[in-house]
Amino acid sequence: MKKLLNELSTECCPAYSLESDVGIDAQVPENLKRSLSFNLPNVAESDLLRHFTNLSRKNYALSTTFYPLGSCTMKYNPLINERIAKFDNFTKLHPYQNLETIQGVLEIMYGLEKDLCEISGMDCFSLQQAAGAHGEFASLLIIAKYFKSIKQKRTKIIVPDSAHGTNSASAVFAGFEIVPLKSESNGSILPEKLKEILTPEIAAIMLTVPNTLGTFEKNIPEISRIVHENGSLLYYDGANLNAVIGVVRPGDMGFDIMHINLHKTFSTPHGGGGPGSGPVGVKVFLEPFLPVPRIERKGTEFILNYEKPESIGRLKAFLGNFSVILKAYVYIKSLGAKGLKNVSEQAVLNANYMLARFRDKINVPAGNRCMHEFVLAPKALYKNSVRTLDIAKRLLDCGYYAPTVYFPLIVEEAIMIEPTETESKETLDAFVDTLIKIIVDETLLDPQKLKDAPVNTNVGRLNEVEAARNPVLRWK
Amino acid sequence: MNYTSQNQKDKKEMLDTIGIRDVDELFDVIPKDLLKVRELNVAGGKTEQELLSYFSDIASKNKVLTSFRGAGVYDHFVPSLVGEIIGRSEFWTAYTPYQAEASQGTLQMIFEYQSLICALTGLDTSNASLYDAATAVAEAALLALRVSKKNKILISSGLHPEYMQVVKTYLKNSVAELVFLDICCDGTVEKESLDSNLDKNTAAVIIQSPNYFGIVEDMQTLSIISKKENSLFVAVINPLSLGVFKTPGEYNADIAVGEGQVLGSFMNMGGSTFGFMVVKKALEWKMPGRIVGQTIDKHGNRGFVLTLQSREQHVRREKATSNICTNASLNALAGCVFLSGWGDCGFKKLAEINISKARYAFNKIKSLEGFKPKFGKDKVFFNEFVIETQKDVNRINDVLLENKILGPLDLSTHCSTLTALGLPETQENFKNCLLFCVTEQRTKCEIDELARILYKI
Amino acid sequence: MGVNVPDSLKYTKTHEWVRIGDNSRAKVGITDFAQHEITDIVHIELPEIGKQIKKGQPVAVIESVKSAFDIYAPLSGKIISANDSTLEIPEIVNKSPYGDGYLFTIEFDDEKEIEKLLSADDYKKLI
Repeated sequence: MKKLLNELSTECCPAYSLESDVGIDAQVPENLKRSLSFNLPNVAESDLLRHFTNLSRKNYALSTTFYPLGSCTMKYNPLINERIAKFDNFTKLHPYQNLETIQGVLEIMYGLEKDLCEISGMDCFSLQQAAGAHGEFASLLIIAKYFKSIKQKRTKIIVPDSAHGTNSASAVFAGFEIVPLKSESNGSILPEKLKEILTPEIAAIMLTVPNTLGTFEKNIPEISRIVHENGSLLYYDGANLNAVIGVVRPGDMGFDIMHINLHKTFSTPHGGGGPGSGPVGVKVFLEPFLPVPRIERKGTEFILNYEKPESIGRLKAFLGNFSVILKAYVYIKSLGAKGLKNVSEQAVLNANYMLARFRDKINVPAGNRCMHEFVLAPKALYKNSVRTLDIAKRLLDCGYYAPTVYFPLIVEEAIMIEPTETESKETLDAFVDTLIKIIVDETLLDPQKLKDAPVNTNVGRLNEVEAARNPVLRWK
Repeated sequence: MNYTSQNQKDKKEMLDTIGIRDVDELFDVIPKDLLKVRELNVAGGKTEQELLSYFSDIASKNKVLTSFRGAGVYDHFVPSLVGEIIGRSEFWTAYTPYQAEASQGTLQMIFEYQSLICALTGLDTSNASLYDAATAVAEAALLALRVSKKNKILISSGLHPEYMQVVKTYLKNSVAELVFLDICCDGTVEKESLDSNLDKNTAAVIIQSPNYFGIVEDMQTLSIISKKENSLFVAVINPLSLGVFKTPGEYNADIAVGEGQVLGSFMNMGGSTFGFMVVKKALEWKMPGRIVGQTIDKHGNRGFVLTLQSREQHVRREKATSNICTNASLNALAGCVFLSGWGDCGFKKLAEINISKARYAFNKIKSLEGFKPKFGKDKVFFNEFVIETQKDVNRINDVLLENKILGPLDLSTHCSTLTALGLPETQENFKNCLLFCVTEQRTKCEIDELARILYKI
Repeated sequence: MGVNVPDSLKYTKTHEWVRIGDNSRAKVGITDFAQHEITDIVHIELPEIGKQIKKGQPVAVIESVKSAFDIYAPLSGKIISANDSTLEIPEIVNKSPYGDGYLFTIEFDDEKEIEKLLSADDYKKLI
């Protein structure tokens, strides 16, 4: 039986202790004093090491297995990034140090902004946002402020039904109303349909390119034309940028504003759910609205400029997730232009290879080609009341993390696979063989095995209904 | 470097299977005039060894200093175990734990983290973390607006100015009205100002304690006043201070938020860190962010899952409680490992040492000629205190820097910073005022040296 | 699928049922078909008592583990009571959608709106 920290607690000497070299002088008035008992665990260091190490072993991770989560870009996280990010001269800096003592930090941030501009075709970047959704939110505030500055009342944002849930949530968070746009079965947008809902109230349309079905939006020049003719802006959700680095640039496609997830495209680790970083890139006419402070170069020196009267303000305390920004910059310096282009070519090759191996066996709604990811629609093959959830759990038994399932919402029982460029042909082949065997053979011959899955994990299938009906959210 | 692993033979076989001859054909779907012709102008292609030396050079342009500066980011002791655990690749290379059975490590860790944050604060339900304290305060304001359906938020002017800015940005396009409460001459929020601004339209009262000036507020009294109009009381707290000071649970706060950097993260230029949020049970279905719950598997074994998910963007889309998805899980793991190793007495002592060292420094500095406490000598403070000086503030910090010391924060620009933000000035003038910070990391020797240098200036 | 559609009730296209009572009052819940589609209900949000509502306006939310469904007002009027026991034990909506699992009671403004609701037969055709 695995224990929780409080259940490991004994009368032992706890792991950490400190002494004061100035004595203890800590009396405080009764009305300010804590009287509540703490109930913190009391565990020795050796036992804590064992506890947390054993916990780590209950995770499937990129360092232990193939992790083909669609739209998440679970690529290899290079170790050199981590090593450099641990330098004392990066970790032990205070954000309010005098600028002359953090020139290295500013040089890196400035350098990354410039590289992201070149990669994306945008004119300026802000690195302050802490995640993709945070970047979306900042972008939408910028869009709102821009229209305010030119005295236009535009209150609505178009979001295709194939988009990530964050698009809608971020737009509403920024005070907009959503106008949904129905996409085609391959996830693409028809300019005619878009035209019908492009009213003078539309501030922007948010597009993910390639879209969440892994298809490149081939009507993008036409979409860009009609959106701009309407006076609206075009927003690029960079979640799938890994497909097109060095191939096409959002800026060249007509996008006015975008965000990038450094923890997807630029190899910084996901950390079990963060920290991330969500840089926002804009064309020059939107630059005045970017969050403050801006990093600028004055001769050989880097400075912070707070004098931006039209800025949307601040999105996060201090300068952003510098540790994440640093790792992304190391990654770019490790690859350079050639290496970056190779990333997208290989990511797209890997995905298409897998797709080619699946396409005769399992329905692929977006057709025979894809960009860096693709979606399977296996529903027609399901026998004996098997569902995609069962397939996902069975994959865990086979030692794989499951792909993204039930997304995008426009494909029933969807299985969304993104292999990334860092996986070998051998890994891809083994996974494809396994998934075909499960979907084509096991659903027919051994459905119970799928319903019972997983059996090789630390726990069996968990009761999520019970967890939500009677929430136990802390140790008691 | 090249992190792909296909050789030419593999590539050929893969292209054959797809039915094309060249990788370029994969991009045929892209309109020709969009395909970039020129190569990107991005320098790189360095080996691991070259990267080490390149980034060592850049790193050498930064200076690690002995810090007497806080203001939201603090130099605290990070135990060895924290680095060891957050360095486990099974944690840092995992994704958000969507497949629960294959993510029990991360899920149990978050559950333990939630339990520890609840134990520390005396409140009922914690989420899995937010980006940082500033965004956590903003999310708390939004939560209050959502639940109460009122539209006024009262915020102490003793809140960190950057948190104020973030709240302002987050609420920019909402109908909410922000009112900033004055700070009085003793450095605490003015109770009359709270009383007079509070009305039936007040969704929440947001008070930081210890406040930006290091002073511990009388949260009990402020909470009682706030409840007169059934406003939610939001406490912005330093979790380390709770080793000694009254908890949000004890003074009946509805929401507590704060900065987790002090719990096991290095200063990292202020990012990444993590923000925490913990609420009363009645608010848990309205809380933003991930939450982990305990349940059982089909054999009756205990296990953990992401729960109450219908609050979140991937289910609720435009009706979600927040747009947040990626948060700061790895920093929260550091927080969890940090909080698990002290025991009750050890944690209390940690807070006491912080208080003792700050007091030691305070007493030393205020006895120097030309330095006097800004808010009287009896105010209770945690890591930080404000000193008014007759000496040249710039010269003080220049001389300290020559001695590899990061001196106190110059508050003289504090009022103008607030004004520039369109925020009201506090009544107090902070000209010639210095915000000192002393944590358990500063030795007696370093404090004495600081005092010696100040004396000589 | 053997779902229950009592003849005595009125229905909407969005799967609410309405039981017309005395004094311009009507009880509202979700149909057996709807609870079946939603699967295990884990959380419910009900409208405030006294709230004025318009026909077709979303007034309540029913949530399963990974989905959330809006419940629309079948008639215009005022909410006069809400079934709080569904908040404590949401699964009663699964077990007894037409009985203990009703959601709220409305005092409706306009009797004519009733004519526009579906009959049991119409609703059966819809599902």
